[in-house]
Amino acid sequence: MKGLRYGPGMNRENPTDLDDGAVKDETHFGFKTVERDQKSGMVRSVFNGVAGQYDLMNDLMSMGVHRLWKTAMIDWLNPQPGWRLLDVAGGTGDIAQRFLERADERSRECSPSSAVTVCDINEAMVGVGRDRALDRGALERISWTCGDAEKLPVASSSVDAYTIAFGIRNVTNIEAALAEAKRVLKPGGRFMCLEFSHVIIPGLKSAYDTYSFKVLPALGELVAKNREAYQYLAESIRQFPEQETFAEMIADAGLGQVKVRNLSGGIAALHSAWRI
Amino acid sequence: MTETSSTIDPKLLEILVCPLTKGPLVYDKAAQELISEQAHLAYPIRDGIPIMLVDEARRVQTT
Repeated sequence: MKGLRYGPGMNRENPTDLDDGAVKDETHFGFKTVERDQKSGMVRSVFNGVAGQYDLMNDLMSMGVHRLWKTAMIDWLNPQPGWRLLDVAGGTGDIAQRFLERADERSRECSPSSAVTVCDINEAMVGVGRDRALDRGALERISWTCGDAEKLPVASSSVDAYTIAFGIRNVTNIEAALAEAKRVLKPGGRFMCLEFSHVIIPGLKSAYDTYSFKVLPALGELVAKNREAYQYLAESIRQFPEQETFAEMIADAGLGQVKVRNLSGGIAALHSAWRI
Repeated sequence: MTETSSTIDPKLLEILVCPLTKGPLVYDKAAQELISEQAHLAYPIRDGIPIMLVDEARRVQTT
């Protein structure tokens, strides 16, 4: 796919991206180093390219395990009736749906109803999620907006829980996203992040490397017709901070009671925290 | 356009703010825009979904 070729050649093709003599502020885009202000656009086009097949690909590449991880996330979050959730990067509405189902299990007749706002930087993903919710007739309590995790369009102290599942890795400035998470949470509100992480079992590591750098891009090409998007996925996972480092970043953002749970030997990890 | 795609969820409007200033937004129903007077930006609502990205917003003059 031509549209996904980035790297040093990009500025030549797209002179408007040149930053007039400014000091280059670089970040990672997978294993490529790119200028900071370009990453979100690149991530956006990666996900534009796979929006329709996103959930199917997740099933295939994790062999269904991402569903168990998401269940583990909702278990730990323990949604209560009346909660208002902001699900960031939750384009296809997967977490939103699970959250509502769980909150409803706990609700009684007099309980206030729960609601979710899904905020994703990618318009195509939000569109897919909204249409899917329409088909399920579950639209009423899920609202959809397109927004940047680093600059959330959400009022301060307005939500009971903030979730981000497989999203924070794609954010350029993770510190800014965490600061925004803290800002939008009510005091006593819950932060929960699900993200690919770093394998902590030595024997699993090499098998996982082979899988993610050989099998995954091939699967991506086969199913989503987009090898680059899944190559990026594997690379970006390796660039993401390790469990303890990320936990420190969350604490540095001013959230309290930070705790980590490894899933599947650290292939993914949950980070939980509270706005005190 | 169906009804759902031409109206915006009132619950969503309650918590939406300008991503730049975190200030209030004015809902222009006819134009399908959310206007941040502080930032002089109008955010489009496309297919019922508010697009709260500065890159996608239109510059507006407000008094």
